Amino acid sequence: MILRSAVLAVLAATAACGAPSVQSSPAAPAITVAAASDLRVAFEELGEQLHAETGLEVTFSFGSSGQLREQILNGAPFDVFASANVEFVDDVISAGCGDPATKTDYAFGRLVLWTPPGGVAPSTVADLADPSYRRIAIANPDHAPYGKAAEQALARAGVLDAVGGRLVFGENIADTLRIAQSGNADVGLVARSLTIGDGRDHALVPENLHDPLRQALVVTATGDRRAPARAFAAFVGSDAGRRIMARYGFALPGEREDPR
Amino acid sequence: MDDWFPLWLSVRVAFGATVIAGGAGIGFAYVLAKGRFRGRGLLEALVTLPIVLPPTVLGYYLLTNLGVNSPVGRAWEGLVGEPLVFTPTAAVIAASVSALPFVVRTARAAIEGVDGRLEAAARVAGHPEWRVAALVTLPVAARGLTAGVALGFARALGDFGATVMVAGNIPGRTQTMPIAVYDAVQAGDGSTARTGSLLLVGVAVVVLLAVTQLSARER
Repeated sequence: MILRSAVLAVLAATAACGAPSVQSSPAAPAITVAAASDLRVAFEELGEQLHAETGLEVTFSFGSSGQLREQILNGAPFDVFASANVEFVDDVISAGCGDPATKTDYAFGRLVLWTPPGGVAPSTVADLADPSYRRIAIANPDHAPYGKAAEQALARAGVLDAVGGRLVFGENIADTLRIAQSGNADVGLVARSLTIGDGRDHALVPENLHDPLRQALVVTATGDRRAPARAFAAFVGSDAGRRIMARYGFALPGEREDPR
Repeated sequence: MDDWFPLWLSVRVAFGATVIAGGAGIGFAYVLAKGRFRGRGLLEALVTLPIVLPPTVLGYYLLTNLGVNSPVGRAWEGLVGEPLVFTPTAAVIAASVSALPFVVRTARAAIEGVDGRLEAAARVAGHPEWRVAALVTLPVAARGLTAGVALGFARALGDFGATVMVAGNIPGRTQTMPIAVYDAVQAGDGSTARTGSLLLVGVAVVVLLAVTQLSARER
């Protein structure tokens, strides 16, 4: 932790990211949003709706929150950073790369136990101890918040040691789902938001098995693109934005009891 | 596939990288083939390194040496006004470095294959060494040099690992064809993944056939 603070202090001192962009005054307003992979389906719909309403062109770069944080700290020209956990947003702000006033919680992520059609669906995390689940896909816990939550859930269910050798890591949560969907894992601990479209029921991992996946965003834009970036952030938290997020299975801030 | 930007960007990046890696690669190949100097083995090892290094390691070094906190990155930002990393220019640099060894190795073999008697004749005629190279060595080796440059082009077109680290995955700005294929797989967009992959396989096969033709006629 001390080391991390020291690293961030150095990064802040060298002001890695506050570089002005040359793309000033584009013909049509356009921004780029760095977004956690669990947001892919929901944010694409959100971006289309915002475009239809305001003409704002939103391009998304999806990846694991940890990778996106590294890219922003290294000068990537993103205008909004929507992370799957709040810590990475805080890192970006401490490094001087994000406007603290724009930091907002916009959703809580949920994990489901996804099995391919025809597979034997576990009903609880503890069921994964069964050796018939030969490969269990989770996102990389080192840099993907859903991976960290999955690891916590396995630990709190008391089966982390039992499944340890059978875990396979996805680069991010979308990659993890892809590993399971392609049949290369018998089950995956993945984001509910990515599986809601397949019309099947998947066992929800109880919230008390992991720290809340408190998803936060921050505006990282400079110059001309600050205003459209703020408009995007505001749209995520608007009634229309919240309706879309809720439809993809996200729990929303203010609509739930204390996450713990 | 409804978005042709990645293909167009890939082609532009690969052409840019081919010019850089082709020029530098033929230069290195000539020096390695003809030069007798201390450190030649080391130079050869360094130039070949991108073939054997994991692309992520290459990408990591490029990111740390061209990034916003590096001297090169700062100098670039001072001149151009925006960071060098996460731009199409960064993609060109990554592709150039990845393509360089393919040019060097093929071109060097071609230069070493030139009949020494032809070069000796040019020297006897009184030409200085640079004219021997320009009039005899390089023209005679032309097919092999072209094959090397073509291989470099194919490699540059296909670069993924180093490019994604220094240029990122920004659709409409730095998302090249290989990265678009990766992104499409992540998004479960099978049709884009298939079309993109087929296009890249097609280009690679055409280039490799051309290389084989060029190498075969030399004998």
